[in-house]
Amino acid sequence: MRIVIVDDEELARRLLREYLSAYDDVEVVAECANGFEAVKAVTDLKPDLMLLDIQMPRLDGFEVLELVGREVGVIFVTAYDQYALRAFEVHAVDYLLKPFAEDRLRAALDRARSRVAAKALVAPAQLSVMARPAGSHLERVAIRDGANVHVIPVSKIDYIEAQDDYVCFRAEGKRYLKQQTLAEIETALDPEQFVRIHRSYILNIDRLAKLELYAKDSHAAILRDGTRLAVSRSGYARLNAVLK
Amino acid sequence: MHPILRSRSRTLIYIAVWIPVAALLTGVVSRGGAVGLGEGAAILVPMCFIYAFICQASWYLCSAVPLRQTDVARLLATHATAATASSAIWVGMGWLWVYILGSTGYMDGIVQRFAGQLPILFFSGLLLFSLAVVLNYLLITFEASQLVEKQALELQVLNREAELRTLRAQIDPHFLFNSLNSISALVTTDPKAARRMCILLADFFRGCLKLGSEPRISLSEEIRLAECYLDIERVRLGARLQVEREIDQQSGFCMVPPLIMQPLIENAITHGIGPMVEGGTVRVQAERNGAGVKIVVENPYDPELGAKTGSGVGLKNVRMRLANLYSDNARLDIDREGTRFRVQLQLPCQSGT
Repeated sequence: MRIVIVDDEELARRLLREYLSAYDDVEVVAECANGFEAVKAVTDLKPDLMLLDIQMPRLDGFEVLELVGREVGVIFVTAYDQYALRAFEVHAVDYLLKPFAEDRLRAALDRARSRVAAKALVAPAQLSVMARPAGSHLERVAIRDGANVHVIPVSKIDYIEAQDDYVCFRAEGKRYLKQQTLAEIETALDPEQFVRIHRSYILNIDRLAKLELYAKDSHAAILRDGTRLAVSRSGYARLNAVLK
Repeated sequence: MHPILRSRSRTLIYIAVWIPVAALLTGVVSRGGAVGLGEGAAILVPMCFIYAFICQASWYLCSAVPLRQTDVARLLATHATAATASSAIWVGMGWLWVYILGSTGYMDGIVQRFAGQLPILFFSGLLLFSLAVVLNYLLITFEASQLVEKQALELQVLNREAELRTLRAQIDPHFLFNSLNSISALVTTDPKAARRMCILLADFFRGCLKLGSEPRISLSEEIRLAECYLDIERVRLGARLQVEREIDQQSGFCMVPPLIMQPLIENAITHGIGPMVEGGTVRVQAERNGAGVKIVVENPYDPELGAKTGSGVGLKNVRMRLANLYSDNARLDIDREGTRFRVQLQLPCQSGT
């Protein structure tokens, strides 16, 4: 079994490596100190299993998982027990609470061996929605672009546009494509801040400069940078409800 | 319920107070010789016994017209009316008692002989009722002050409990779990470092328990605790965490609430250094200024990481504690400048004893 260790603490990685050295069928193919490295390592090395910390620099464990999809089995290793439910919702193989005993890791590896074959249980696009704690809203969006990863705070998003199977995030004059549906993104974002103004658009209301009557029943939203977006009738009602 | 009638011993003491009153009144009515001492006592002892209870009815009156909230004219009118009525009823009852006694035949002509004493009994009734009113006002004031004292005590206990709760919240328990995990890793590869880490953890938690129960500790103790915490985090985070300190010796003597810096330091690590790949330097600064002391905790942070860093709960706790302890005399300022995050505490410097 080829394993990637992802933890920002050197000592935590050292401990895992030491525990894993006892198994002949286990090979540690990479050690990563942050989420970016993890995404790159998983993309390049295609391991069977990831031992993944949750609170890490740049990308947290759930974001890493979202970006690498279900190509790899995951055992979360963390000191925080409040993520356990989320971890199992994203179909993690197991969830180890630091500090943990060698036996506990063995049990997790046993589960992993029997689960590694079973893949693609959850579409990656749904992960960000599911991995969110109840009642909270998405605060940043992680987007993979080949080997690069972009992390965009939601406050920098101007609007989001549906494009076939993708959504396109517009932020600071740039476009970022992600395989996801507009409806999934809509439910994850703060409804006070992001409004579905049209079948194809979600607008950050901070960017709205004015609304223009376009035809008898339809409006257009003019953004601060001059962009015009179509507003549907139901979108106009939603917009008014938020703006009051 | 009436405060005097609430307990049996109080009632007995109260009745005992009336014995000399009864004796005095007996003396008064028999002074002219028209009424004999024995006859006077037979009339006045039961009368006084009854009047003792009639007078206590004024307690309800006193509660109904509180001393401070009622104007003097109304106060006087109320009590004068009550006193006149009570005394008149009392004298009437006494007169009835004398009539009954007279009809038994044992006290010949007592009705005629006692008639002359009725005015003085009426005035005595007024006087006694007025005394009872004064006594009841004293009683009410006393009870109110006791209640205030009790409430103040209860409030103190509540504040203390709240304080302890905030103290417990100052230390993130995951810090302990992560540290134990580090020890677990060090045990085989570097037993000496593992032992050092154990000792640092013990020092830190012992310090927290001991100092956390004090109302104030010296800033030098507070800083020692913070340094202990930072030493532990340095083992965990390795080269990613550097610490710079600039502590003015004079500031060390100031007394501060225990663990007031802890949330600042913890934030610096979890929201500043932790999310940065390359880490950075946490700067701790303390200096005397005027009558106060300034404590600064500064750390680098990555504004690109979005709102995920820092929910502000820790800082809100600190603000609340400061407001509770110093009202307006302490402040907490936060400023973000580029990639630096700076929290400044300004406290009055209270000297230790």
